[in-house]
Amino acid sequence: MRIIRCISCKFILQFRKVCDTLLSNKCSIIRIREWEIRMQDRMKQTKRQARVTESMTVMEKLKILSDAAKYDVACTSSGTSRGNNGKGIGNCFDAGICHSFAADGRCISLLKILFTNECIFNCRYCLNRSSNDVPRATFTPDEVCELVIGFYRRNYIEGLFLSSGIVGSPDYTMELLYQTLYKLRNQYHFGGYIHVKAIPGADPLLIEKTGFLADRMSVNLELPTAEGLKKLAPAKTREKILRPMRQVQNRREENRQELVLYRNAPRFVPAGQSTQMIVGATPENDFQIMTVAESLYKKFDLKRVFYSAFVRVNDDAALPALPGGPPLLREHRLYQADWLLRFYGFEAGELLSEERPNFNVLLDPKCDWALRHLEQFPVEINRASYQTLLRVPGIGVKSAQRIVKARRLGSLDFPDLKRMGVVLKRALYFVTCRGRMMYPTRIEEDYITRNLLNVKEKLPAQLRGEMSYRQLSLFDDGMPLSREEQICLLGGER
Amino acid sequence: MITVFLCEDSLDGILTGVYEAYDSRLGHRNIRLKTEEMDTMELFCEYRTVRTDLEKAEKVLRTVRKRMGEKAKEAVCYAAACPDERRADAIYRLIVLGLSLPDGREALNFLQDPSVLLVEKLRYKAWHEAERMLGFLRFEELPGGILYAFMEPPYAVLPLIAPHFADRLLQENWIIHDKKRELLAVHRKYAGWMLADAKLLELRYIEGRSSEEENFQALWRTFCKSIAIEERRNPRCQQNLLPLRFRPSMTEFRI
Repeated sequence: MRIIRCISCKFILQFRKVCDTLLSNKCSIIRIREWEIRMQDRMKQTKRQARVTESMTVMEKLKILSDAAKYDVACTSSGTSRGNNGKGIGNCFDAGICHSFAADGRCISLLKILFTNECIFNCRYCLNRSSNDVPRATFTPDEVCELVIGFYRRNYIEGLFLSSGIVGSPDYTMELLYQTLYKLRNQYHFGGYIHVKAIPGADPLLIEKTGFLADRMSVNLELPTAEGLKKLAPAKTREKILRPMRQVQNRREENRQELVLYRNAPRFVPAGQSTQMIVGATPENDFQIMTVAESLYKKFDLKRVFYSAFVRVNDDAALPALPGGPPLLREHRLYQADWLLRFYGFEAGELLSEERPNFNVLLDPKCDWALRHLEQFPVEINRASYQTLLRVPGIGVKSAQRIVKARRLGSLDFPDLKRMGVVLKRALYFVTCRGRMMYPTRIEEDYITRNLLNVKEKLPAQLRGEMSYRQLSLFDDGMPLSREEQICLLGGER
Repeated sequence: MITVFLCEDSLDGILTGVYEAYDSRLGHRNIRLKTEEMDTMELFCEYRTVRTDLEKAEKVLRTVRKRMGEKAKEAVCYAAACPDERRADAIYRLIVLGLSLPDGREALNFLQDPSVLLVEKLRYKAWHEAERMLGFLRFEELPGGILYAFMEPPYAVLPLIAPHFADRLLQENWIIHDKKRELLAVHRKYAGWMLADAKLLELRYIEGRSSEEENFQALWRTFCKSIAIEERRNPRCQQNLLPLRFRPSMTEFRI
C-alpha cells in the first residue's frame, strides 16, 4: 500500500499495468496449482501405463526417441550470442556450430530427441501416429538433463532440441517440456542452446514460461495449406498452429521493448522462432509453398522456414507413392529460393507465378529469374548498386560486399572478380567491367541457357576455338524465317 | 639484390621478421619474408635469419591495432596460423600498405592488391578451420574428471580455439593437445588457460578413462547412427562437410 500512496497521477497508467500483471500472476499461480494437481494424477496414470518403458535403459530410450525425432529438420544452433553465466556450463556461439554430420549429410548440432513418442494423434504421414505399432518410450526430465550435460561436456553437441509426441493432452506435454527445460536451466545451470517445440493447443501461459528458458521456439506448420492439413492431419487445424506462433511473435515484440528499458530483463526466445513444412506429401505447387513462406517471414517475423522432403514411412492410401525416393531436388530448389527471399531481396511473386508455378529443375531459381529478365542485363560491376549486384547469377552476398568495398579504391576487372570469388562461368553473361563484357556474347535466352546448363565446362565453346554443335531445328531461333518460308511451313495465317 | 628474412614459423616469429625488415631500411621492394621451412635457396639473394623476440612482435602487433584497427590485427593473427609459405611476405606487405595510407583501416579493403587478398583469404581459411575445430573436437573424461582432447590440425588453431572452450567449460579442468605441434592448452577450473609444451605431459596420465566415459561414447555413437535418415543417405555430402582427416580423433567414427 505504501507504494500506492507515493505514486503520482503521472504514473497511474503505468501503475494500472503493474496491477494487471500482478493480478494475472495471481491467476496464473492458481492455475499452476491446478495443473500440479492434475499432473500428479496423470503422472500416476502414465507411470502405471509406462511400466514397460521404465525398465528400459537410457540407451534403448535414446535409440527409439532419436530415431523418432530424425524427421524433424531445423538442427541449427545459431542466433544467440551469450557468454558463460559463471554458475554452470555452456555458452552460445552466434553463428552456430556443427558438431558432426550424419550419414545423410545433415548437420548434427543439437541433441535432437523427442521427449516421448507416445501420441494421441493419428497424422497420416507420421511414424509415431497412434495407430502404428512401434516401440514407445518416454524420457524423464532428469534423464534428458544428464544426457545433455554429459554430451555437452564432451563437446558432442551445442545444446538440446526437444520435441515431443502428444501424451495425455497438449497442456500436459508442454508442461513436461517446461519441467525439463526448467531443470536444465536452473538445477544444472546449463547455458547452452535450447530449441523447443511449442505444442499447438497448449496453454499460452505455459508457452510463455517455456519461451523464457529456450533460445529458439518453433511450431510445426506440418503442411503448406489448410486443405492438406485437413486431409493428412485431421486433429490439427491451421488456426491452432498459427495461434502459438502469433503469441511468440507478439511476446518477442514486447520483450524487445522491455530490453530497451532494462538491459538485464529476461530474454524471450532470443534466437527467434522457426517452422517447418513437409514438401511433396500433398499436391501443392512451389508457388503456393513460397507464398506461404514469404508471408510467414513478413507477417510472423520468423527466423527460418524449413522444408522437409516427404519420406514415406507409413503405408497409407492418402499418401503419394514416391518411386524415386523423397523429392530432394525440389527441396533443394525451395531452399535456394528461400535464401533469395531472405538475403537477396527477391519476392516470391518475382520467382514464380500462377502460370509458372514450379521451379525449373535444371536451373537454380536465380539463373532462371535472370534469364527471364534479360532486359535488365548486363550490369556494370563498377557502377551497379549493391541490390543490383545481388541479382546477378554467380554473385553472392559475400562477393557483392567485396565488390562494393573494393571498387571504392579502384576500378575492377574480370581477373579481380575471379579472385574475389565471383563464379564467372555464370556471371559473365550478365556483367560488364569498364563497359566491356568478358568476351563478346549474345544476350539471348536460348544461347545463355545452353551455356549455363553445361557449367562443368569452364568456358563456352567459342573461346576454346571449337565449333559448337546443336540440333538443327526447322524453326531455328537464330534465323528468322522469311515471309515465303513462313507461309510455306505454317500455312499463310501467321 | 634481394634480402630474404627467414623467420620462425609462428606468429611471433613472423611479426619479429616484419619488425626487422622494416628496421633494416633496405627499401620494401628489396625485401622478402619467408618462414623457415623453405627447402631450396635462391641465387642472388642474401639470407638473414631473424631471432624471435617477443617484445618486438608485441610492438608490431600493437602498432597494427592502433593504426589499422582491430580487424587488421585479427586478420594478421589468423593468417599467421595457416601453413602457407607466402603468408609472411603477404603480412609484411599488408602492414607496409596499412602504414602508408592516411587511414590504415582502409588497407584490408584493398582487395586488388594480391597480398591483401591473400591475407584476407588466409584469414578466412584459418577462421573456417578454427570454427570447424570448435565443433569437431572431442573431449574424453580422464579418471580425475579432467577432460582431455587431442587434434592434429594442419593449421595452428590451438590458441584460436582455446578461449572459446575456456568460456564454455569454465568449471572444468581440461587439456587440449595439438599432437602435430606438440602443444597443450591447459585450463584450470574457474581460471584462465595457458599454452604449454606437450613434452611435459606424461603419457600415463592420459591413458586411463573414467568409468562413465565408455557409456557416454556408446550413447553418442547410437545417437549418430539413429539420427540419419536412410532414405536420404548421402555419404559424399557428409564427406564434403566433414573431411576424413578430422575423423580419427572423433568418437563417432572410431570403432
